[in-house]
Amino acid sequence: MTNRLRVLRAENRWSQAEVADRLGVSRQTVNAIETGKYDPSLPLAFAIAKLFSVRIEEVFSPH
Amino acid sequence: MTSLQQACSSLYTERDARNMRVFNYWFFAAMITFAATTILISERFLAKGAVAWGLTVLTIVLFVMMVRAYMIFLRGADELLRKIQLEALSFSFGASLVFMIGYRLCERLGAPKLDVDDPMLVMVLVFALGQWLGIRRYAGGEEQ
Repeated sequence: MTNRLRVLRAENRWSQAEVADRLGVSRQTVNAIETGKYDPSLPLAFAIAKLFSVRIEEVFSPH
Repeated sequence: MTSLQQACSSLYTERDARNMRVFNYWFFAAMITFAATTILISERFLAKGAVAWGLTVLTIVLFVMMVRAYMIFLRGADELLRKIQLEALSFSFGASLVFMIGYRLCERLGAPKLDVDDPMLVMVLVFALGQWLGIRRYAGGEEQ
């Protein structure tokens, strides 16, 4: 699975720590998602989409 | 600070750190009680009567509370941290099982007899190794 989390974060000029705080997860979780080392759970994926006010398909894609 | 220390410090949310502190309190209380009870009974400072049984039950209760605190920590943990912990636990469980079965055969071939609690050392060491491998695999990255 690929994602646009880093791009969306950069567009909002947020640090990984700020995104992590807003999502209630650790900075390492945000980093692991951005680098593709870890695929988030469905609730976290929805929370990420909601944070950036986009649809989930605009953040995550299956390949 | 090493990259591993940095990874560890940014892997815990405030809630995780708080729950881990609670776990540590129970862990230290249980270990101190266990050590004190073992010394008192084995060195015959205490007769094997009601007080010894009371201390033994107290030790068991403290260990049960420690396990409960770990379960609370794990259920509420950040999802990446939970994944690392669960993978380390399964690695530890599997390695201990293989060690116990494998070493039983080795004993029949003449290897020195082990104490019943020796596999616990394998379990703890492999759990620590599993956590280190998990942090290396999933965490440890700097912000880009």
